[in-house]
Amino acid sequence: MRYPIALLAAGALLTPMAQAAGNEFNPQISLIFDGVFYQDNVDGEGVESLLEVPGINGHGHEEEEGEEDHDHGHSHGLEEGFNLREQELTLSASVDNYFDGFVVIAVSEEEVEVEEAYFVTRSLPNGFTVKGGKFFSGIGYHNSKHVHSWDFVDQNLAYGALLGDHGLVDKGLQLTWLPSTSTYALFGVEWLQGSEQERFGTVMEEPEEDLGLDEEETGPKIVTAFVKVSPDLGDDHALQVGAWYAQAKQDQQELHHEHDGDEEELGLEGDASMWGLELVYKLDSTEAYGAGDLTVQAEYLMQNKDWEIMNGDEAGEDVSGEQDGFYLQTVYGIAPRWKAGLRYDVTGLTNDLELPEETESFDESDRISAAVTFYPTEFSFIRLQYATADIAESDENIDQVFLQFNYSLGAHGAHKF
Amino acid sequence: MRKLLTDLRDIFIKQWLMVAILLSSPSAMAELNVVATTTSMGMLASEVGGDHVTVKTLVAPDRDTHYLQAKPSMIIALRKADLVVSVGASLEIGWLPAAINSSANPNILDGKPGHFESATFLELIDKGVADRSQGDVHPEGNPHFNLDPIRMAEVAKALGERLASLDKDNAGQYRKKAEQLASRLSNLNQELVKKAVGAKSPLMMHKDANYLWLRLNVPILGYIEPLPGIPPTASHIKKLADTLAGKEGIIFHAPFHSASGPKRLAETLGWERVVIPIEPKKNAKFEDYEALLTRWVAAATK
Repeated sequence: MRYPIALLAAGALLTPMAQAAGNEFNPQISLIFDGVFYQDNVDGEGVESLLEVPGINGHGHEEEEGEEDHDHGHSHGLEEGFNLREQELTLSASVDNYFDGFVVIAVSEEEVEVEEAYFVTRSLPNGFTVKGGKFFSGIGYHNSKHVHSWDFVDQNLAYGALLGDHGLVDKGLQLTWLPSTSTYALFGVEWLQGSEQERFGTVMEEPEEDLGLDEEETGPKIVTAFVKVSPDLGDDHALQVGAWYAQAKQDQQELHHEHDGDEEELGLEGDASMWGLELVYKLDSTEAYGAGDLTVQAEYLMQNKDWEIMNGDEAGEDVSGEQDGFYLQTVYGIAPRWKAGLRYDVTGLTNDLELPEETESFDESDRISAAVTFYPTEFSFIRLQYATADIAESDENIDQVFLQFNYSLGAHGAHKF
Repeated sequence: MRKLLTDLRDIFIKQWLMVAILLSSPSAMAELNVVATTTSMGMLASEVGGDHVTVKTLVAPDRDTHYLQAKPSMIIALRKADLVVSVGASLEIGWLPAAINSSANPNILDGKPGHFESATFLELIDKGVADRSQGDVHPEGNPHFNLDPIRMAEVAKALGERLASLDKDNAGQYRKKAEQLASRLSNLNQELVKKAVGAKSPLMMHKDANYLWLRLNVPILGYIEPLPGIPPTASHIKKLADTLAGKEGIIFHAPFHSASGPKRLAETLGWERVVIPIEPKKNAKFEDYEALLTRWVAAATK
């Protein structure tokens, strides 16, 4: 059999004949579908309970009937049975030769929300990049991961308890510097508005009674700094370690407190700070479709709050809170296209609220999760996850089962580290 | 003591003079940092660039180029690159754009002279529409042209022009080396075409050697993957075995492909199974590329 000559002749082209692959669609559009079937042993309260575990952010006390929900925005609460979670619509393109633009719109059945919308500079010299708009903060490793790229269905307890279900996402400006060194080292600072944070730099919106709290300060109210370092360990191994710090100049809290036998609502006003450490190790095997690949990641987060009591007899006295969180997770490619993951996450190993005359300490809440994920192609996956959680001040373990289905349409997703 | 001090001073001055001379000499200044994705692209860059370039490759030859992650080690390599040489046609789409965007290096962005996407200089086969129900097909065409010496020669010439425009002082040398490499590749092709006469028809795992077989006039029997990027099921293997029973053929697959399907087929059909890389070894020169292609043809004609 002979092939036609035309097929054999490769054109002698010294100038590009086709658009480079990165520019095929303008803008690049992708849509990510995420659906979850969910069951637990606490009548569907499991997901909410795990977001409200006892700690310094006011969830450690008996919740009063009709108490105000401090959470802003939407929740990721799942009900038992079938759930459609957020559908993510992403548009990205070069704005011009100076900027790239990204918009991520999260569409749920109830609302449409701008999850991220930002610009990134393209041509600053000396390894500098500026990002501005609304974006996931660069702190930590897990923080900037979108829900669909998580290795487990739900947020880990460390992030969930200290930063909220979405992690730290806010409006602001980020400056990063990647110096031209032999070893990868990325430095970043951020100024964030801090007006819609659930757990860190919280501002009470219209408390039921006058708690003597100050007016909301002007932004930006949160400043962060982070560094990530990654030595080159060759083709098989990759390691990244990082550290970060964040400061919120205003943090308010309503504290239900018993004092001299009287129950009272205390208004707390002050500031907050956090720091964290991260470690990620990846093994890239030579086997097909991810078999033999291994990822181990761990992060430790610590949150400190320094308040002053703003009302009642004890006005002017100091209250401080300290709570931490940790998770360790590993994902292994058990066969081509199959991954198995194991996660231990905990919050409140340190979990103390220092009041004027006493220290209130809460126990830790921890959980173990196991997940098996099948990837028919890199454009879809099906995940079965089981978790059992031991929540502080609760007698009963929460057992959860998730079955997640996720797919993506449109532009090819990025395989980020 | 004084003698020792003067000696030390002289040595010190000499050293600094040496450094100053090195820094001011144009040949030392002209060195270009080239980052190539695959080892085939690395071979082209180092042959065409010669002593004026340093080449780093991002993909080990034993990995599937489709499925890498944008690792920090890639990002820092790209940070310092004057030129990135990629295969293109979406082969590296999962990780290269992400790594380039994270590298804070404006010189290698898409559309800049420091961004060289080989496939854009070629006429590709299997162009199609983006329909993922047909597997992981690339609308730009089949990106695995690296085993085709003639297309590689075209890329070498285009790369020579690109290097010449980036480093004008050595432009003549880049063009000369590109021409030399192109003619060596063309000669290699002629030799291979001769050697391939009477080659057994290959059954391929993936469409990763189509350009080679086309060039050598060897018809392909089929593919073990039911669709590009989709591993075969037992029933697909059985169907293939039934269709191909009684025919002559040889099975080829890359080391990173699952061996179970090809193994079963080889046993059922009584054919030879060849596990063979589709990329030359690390830091490859022309000779390594030549050795790889010779190995392919030798396997099919044995």
